[in-house]
Amino acid sequence: MSESSALHEEIKEILIDDLMLDVEMDEIGDETPLMGPDSLGLDSVDALQLVVAIEKKFGLKISDPEAAKGILRSVKTIADAVRESKST
Amino acid sequence: MSAHAILITGANGGIGNATARYFLEHDESCYVYLGIRSGRNEADALAADFPERCGVLSLDVTKAAEWESSLAKVAAEDRVITVLVNNAGHHDDHLMANMPLEAFSSVIESNLNSVFLGSQAVLRGMMGERFGRIINISSLSALLAPLGQTNYAAAKAGVIAMTGSLAKEVARMSITVNAICPGYIETSAIETGDPEQAKARKKTIPMRRFGKPREVAAAVFFLATKDAAYITGATLKIDGGIF
Repeated sequence: MSESSALHEEIKEILIDDLMLDVEMDEIGDETPLMGPDSLGLDSVDALQLVVAIEKKFGLKISDPEAAKGILRSVKTIADAVRESKST
Repeated sequence: MSAHAILITGANGGIGNATARYFLEHDESCYVYLGIRSGRNEADALAADFPERCGVLSLDVTKAAEWESSLAKVAAEDRVITVLVNNAGHHDDHLMANMPLEAFSSVIESNLNSVFLGSQAVLRGMMGERFGRIINISSLSALLAPLGQTNYAAAKAGVIAMTGSLAKEVARMSITVNAICPGYIETSAIETGDPEQAKARKKTIPMRRFGKPREVAAAVFFLATKDAAYITGATLKIDGGIF
């Protein structure tokens, strides 16, 4: 497994385990929207939980609500932000 | 991984101090922080009884900056607050027609704003641990709405509403939020009052006695346990049957 897909899997595990989403890992596409129409259906409480879990697991602090909107769009956008934070 | 700890505000006397002692006596693995603003004799005495498992935090619960600095101290000691007992508060009774704005505002601040500030301050830590217990000490006054307490009754009723609302927000994170409404409890405020008045009050209580701080503490302790995981948004009155 590449480093990139391992990171995607870790993020999907957070969605399933921490947010207790009733879906299987392979039902979550890397670019499946997390919120809004045709999405996994996350709400504002899920988003808050996700922010805390990402900070705890990857050390990425997301304190700006506007930045959060961009980062929490999909598994891929979260992974991109995590990678970027580690490279800086 | 940080060790879990308990923070009890208003812990210098009465219900707060009894609750802290109850935790220390019934759970040998717990660490208890006593949040106090002024008058620390009883808090210091308790901390001296349990020097390895109890610490005192200087904390004015109405000030966000003091919550921040207190929690920074807890984090520096490699602990995280997973049980918060919002107990601090005061009352300043007047008929509304004569109530100075300051008496209204300060009672709302110490009883209601403090619960907001404290809960907000500890929530992220609890979310990270996926475990938390917030126990808010409201009052029977919230339910009885006695005359002379428009400020206090409103603040404590606000605490009950806040408890229910926050409970829904954090339920899926395994954090529970509950309120307790003590009735007449044997605290210094009651003990130093007029004995005749105390006698008359007891007649209004079906159990014909005041409650003991320990009897409130026991309920707080239970709500903080893992076994109380499915109780949230509840309001428990402890009043000898008054209401």
